[in-house]
Amino acid sequence: MRRRTFVGAIGSGAALGLAGCLTQDGDESDDSNGDPEPEELDLEGTLEVVTYESMIDGDNPAGPWLKEAFEEEYPDAELEWVQLPDQGIGHYINQAQGGQEIDADVYFGLNIDDLVSVDDNLEEGGLFRGLNADRIERSSRIRDGLDMGDPHDRVLAYDTGYISLVFDETEVDEPETFEDLTEAAYEDALIAQNAQTSDPGQAFLLWTIDAFGEDGYLDYWRDLRENGVRAIEDWSESYYGAYMNEERPMVVSYSTDQVFASAEGNDLSRHQIGFLNDQGYANPEGMAIFEDADSVDLAYEFLDFVLSNDAQAEIAERNVQFPAVEDEYVDLDDEFDQYAHVPPEAVTVGYDDLRGNLDEWVDDWAREFASQ
Amino acid sequence: MSATGRVAAGRVRAWLERHAIGLTALVTAGILVVMLYLPVGVVFVEAVLEDGTPTLGHFADVLTDPFYFGILADVFAEPLAIGTHLGSLAGWLAAISISLTLEYPLPGVDLPVPWLAVDTPGVRKGLFGFTAYQAALSTVASVVLGLPAAYVLANYEFYGRRTLRSLTILPFVMPGILVAVGFYAMFGRAGTLNGLLGTVGLGPYAFIETSPLAIVILAHAFYNAPLVARLTVAAWESVDARTVETARSLGASERRAFRDVVVPQLAPAVLTGALLTFIFTFMTFPIVLALGGLQLATVEVWIYDRIQRLDYAEAATLAILETILSLGLTYAYLRYESAQTGFARAPSPPPKERLVPDLRTALSPRRLAIFGYGLVALVLFVGPMASLVVGGFTDGSGLTLRNYSFLLERQLEGASFQTLPLPAIRNSLLFGVATLLIAVPMGVVISVLTARTGRSGTIVDTLAMLPLAVSGIVFGIGLLQGLVFGIPLPGGWRFQVTGAVAIVVAHAVAAYPFVTRNVSPLLTNLDPAMTESARALGASRFRALFDVELPLVANGIVAGAAFAFAISIGEFSSTVILASGGESYTMPVAVERYLGRRSGPAIAMGTLLLAVTAASFVVIDRVGGRYEL
Repeated sequence: MRRRTFVGAIGSGAALGLAGCLTQDGDESDDSNGDPEPEELDLEGTLEVVTYESMIDGDNPAGPWLKEAFEEEYPDAELEWVQLPDQGIGHYINQAQGGQEIDADVYFGLNIDDLVSVDDNLEEGGLFRGLNADRIERSSRIRDGLDMGDPHDRVLAYDTGYISLVFDETEVDEPETFEDLTEAAYEDALIAQNAQTSDPGQAFLLWTIDAFGEDGYLDYWRDLRENGVRAIEDWSESYYGAYMNEERPMVVSYSTDQVFASAEGNDLSRHQIGFLNDQGYANPEGMAIFEDADSVDLAYEFLDFVLSNDAQAEIAERNVQFPAVEDEYVDLDDEFDQYAHVPPEAVTVGYDDLRGNLDEWVDDWAREFASQ
Repeated sequence: MSATGRVAAGRVRAWLERHAIGLTALVTAGILVVMLYLPVGVVFVEAVLEDGTPTLGHFADVLTDPFYFGILADVFAEPLAIGTHLGSLAGWLAAISISLTLEYPLPGVDLPVPWLAVDTPGVRKGLFGFTAYQAALSTVASVVLGLPAAYVLANYEFYGRRTLRSLTILPFVMPGILVAVGFYAMFGRAGTLNGLLGTVGLGPYAFIETSPLAIVILAHAFYNAPLVARLTVAAWESVDARTVETARSLGASERRAFRDVVVPQLAPAVLTGALLTFIFTFMTFPIVLALGGLQLATVEVWIYDRIQRLDYAEAATLAILETILSLGLTYAYLRYESAQTGFARAPSPPPKERLVPDLRTALSPRRLAIFGYGLVALVLFVGPMASLVVGGFTDGSGLTLRNYSFLLERQLEGASFQTLPLPAIRNSLLFGVATLLIAVPMGVVISVLTARTGRSGTIVDTLAMLPLAVSGIVFGIGLLQGLVFGIPLPGGWRFQVTGAVAIVVAHAVAAYPFVTRNVSPLLTNLDPAMTESARALGASRFRALFDVELPLVANGIVAGAAFAFAISIGEFSSTVILASGGESYTMPVAVERYLGRRSGPAIAMGTLLLAVTAASFVVIDRVGGRYEL
C-alpha cells in the first residue's frame, strides 16, 4: 500500500514536470487520441496480464510462449500472467464499483459484450484506456470486420473464432439456412448451449438475432423449440457429453472443430462444418489496457507484439482460433489451413446494437425457453 | 516444576475443562459470523435495498411473477381474493380425468402393464414449482436407491464390504462437469450401456433423449443415494440389538421387532438423508442444465445468471426465498427429530450375516433381490465413473496415454503461473484434514448445545444449518465481495480474508452441518439417564460428554468426519474464488482449469481426483473404524 502511494506521487510529479515542459494544458480533455507517446519509453518492470484459463492452463496453451518471446524481446520486462477470476469481467466491474485499485495492466481476452457490460454498469468508456493507435504500429494489420466497434477505442482484436454448426454427415444432410433447422428432417437433431452462461450459446443466439431481427428471433426460437432443440449448459458438456456420445447429429460449435478432431484421430464424417446462410458468427477476442495500469508503455509494446507475425501464428495454432491480421502478415501451417474453416461471410452484432439490449435479449430468450 | 506450578497448571486445566464447551461454542460462533453471516449478509442485504432505502419491492416483483411462481403468483398478487382463487381451483379439479389403459413401457418388449392415467389440466408451476417438483422426485429416487445399499452394508458380511462402504463417498466429490460427461459416456446412444446391450443384440436406446428429466433425477440420485446410504448405515450400526432381542423374547415376530424397534432408530437418519437430498437438489445447478438443457432450469440457474449480469438485487431475492424454504423444511424436520427421545444405551449392532454362505442361500429370493439391486447399482453408480475413466485412456484411434503424459509434463515442466497436479493433490489433502479438525468440534458442539433443549434449541439448530440452505453461488459472491475485496473499516483499514486459511474455514463452514446431522439423531436417541448419573457422580458437563456420550455416538462422529473431509475435497465454488491468483488451488479447481477444447486433460485430472479420494477414504474408514463401536 505504501509503495503504491510513493510510486503514485513520483508518477504525478513526473507528469506535472512533463506538462510544464510542453505547456499543452488543453490537450488532456480530448481522450480519443488516447495516451500520447512519451519521449522515452519506460520498458522496465512487470507487466501484469489478465487472461482466461485456457490461454495459460489448458493443453499446449499460447500463454507460456507469449511470455517467453515477449521477455526475450524486452529483456528488462517481466510478463506476469494473472488468471481471470471466475466471474470474468464482472470481477473488475465490481472492483471498480467498490473503489478498489486494479493491479493488472492488460486484459487479454475481452469480448464485445464485456465492453457493453462495462459501459452498462460503470461510466461510459470506463475501466480501460482509450488506445492511441499511433503507438501500436501493427494495429493497421488487423483485418477489416474485426473492428470491435468500441466508440471509445479501448480494444484491439488479436484473434477470432467463428461459431458454426458441426454435424455428422452420415446422419443428416448439411442444413443450408436457419429455416432448414425447423424442418422435419432436423427434428430432435440440434444441440445448442444456454445463452445465459455459454459463449458459443450466446453467439448463436446473437446470430439468430442478426438473421431474424429483434422482433423475429423469439418466433424463430419457438419453431426451433417445437422441432426439439436442446440448450445444454456449456459447450464442454454439449460437445464432449452429448455430441460425442452420439446423442444427436448436430451441435453449435466452432469452425475449427476439425483441427481437434484430426489430432484426436477421429473420423471426420462426424466433424463436418455447416455455415448457415453461408455465414459464421464471428467472436473476436480483444485486448485492452486498464485505466489504472502502472506499466502503460510496456502494455502498448505488448499489444503491438501480439500482432507480430510469429505471435499471431502461435496464438492461432495453439489457441485454435484465426489470426486477427491480414493473411500477408502471418504464416500458418498447412494443416491449420486445411482443417480450420472460414465462413464465406462473417457476421457479428456490434457494440452499438448490443448496448442496452443484450441482457434483455438473453433474458427474454431464456424465459421463453425455460417456462414450463 | 514446583508444586505450586503444578497446582496452577491443574487449575488452568480444570478451568479449561469446565469451559471447554463454552469456548468451542464461542469460536464456532466467531467463525460463523466472519465466514458465513458476513458474506451472506453482504449479498442478502441487496434484496431489501433500492438505491440505499429499504424496500420490499424486489420480493413483490418476484412473488407475483408467474415465471417464478406459476399459478401461485396470482395468489400472491391478490391474497384476499379468496373467492376467485377457489373458483379457479374448482375449475381445475373438475377438469381432471382418470383412465385405465394397457401400456407397453419397455420398447421392443411385448409386456403389457395396466396403467392408471391421471390426466390433469396443465398447471403452470413456475420456476420455483418446477424446482421443488424435480427435487421431490430426486429425493424419492435417492431414498429408494440408497436404502437397499444401507441394508446390505449394515446387515451382511462379504468380501470387500468395508472398502465398498468407503467408496460410497466417491460420487460426492465428483465435479458436476465430470458427472455430466460420465453420464453421457454411460447412457448416451454411443455409450457403454448401449455397447453392452448391443453385444446381446439389443438397442441402441436413446436413454437420455427419451426422458431428460428422468436422467437428471438419476444423476441426482447418483450424488445423493450414497448420502442416504451412509447416514443410514451409521444409524443402523448404532442400533442397540439388545432392544431387538428384548422385543423378540417378549414374543414379537421378526418383522414386528424390526418395525417397532429398529425402524424408529433408523427413521431420523433416513429422514435426515431425505431432507438433505431435497435441499441439495432444490439448489442443484450445473447438472440439470448439463443433462437436461434449459427446459429443466431451476431457481439456482437464474441466480447464477443474475449474478453474472450484476443484478444482485434479484439474485439475492431469489436466494433468500430458496433459503427460507430450505430452513422451513429443516425446522419442520428438526421438530420431529427432537421429539424422538430414545432410550438407547450403547450401540450393539445386530451381527452381520454372510451374504453368500452357500449356493442354496445364494438363490433364495432375498439374496436374488440383493444381487438384482447390485446390478442396478453397478449400472448407475459404477457405470458413469468407469466410463469416464476409460474415456480418459482412449481417443479416436484407440488407447492413448496422452492425457496422462499431459499431467506428467505439466508437473515436471509447468511454469509457476500454471496449475500443477501435485500441489493440487497436496492442497486438497491438507485442506481436507484441516477442515475435518475444525468442522468436527464445530458440529459436535452445536449438536450438544441443541439436543434436548426444546423449541429454542431447534431454532438454533435450524439456523446452524444455514450453510446448506444458502445458494452456493450467493455464498461465493459474498465471500468475494465481503472477504476478498474486503470490508472498509474506519481509519483506512480494510478487513480482508483470503488464501489457504480462508479456504479451510470456508470448507469447515460448509462441512460442519454434516457432523451435526450425523451426531444429533444419535445424541437425542441416547438415554438421558446416563449423562445424568455421570453428572450426579461429579463429572463436569465436558467430562460427561467426553467420557460417556461421545463414545456412544462415535459412529456418527466418524461418519460426519468422513463427510467433512469429502465436502472439503469436492468443494469448488468458494475454493475457486478464494484461491484466485494464488497457489491454494485444489483438485476440482485443477479439473476446471484443464478443461479446454480438448476434454482429455480434465478427465485425467478427474480420474486422479477419484483415485486420491478413494485411497484416502479407505484409509480414513480403516483408521476411523478403530474408534467405532
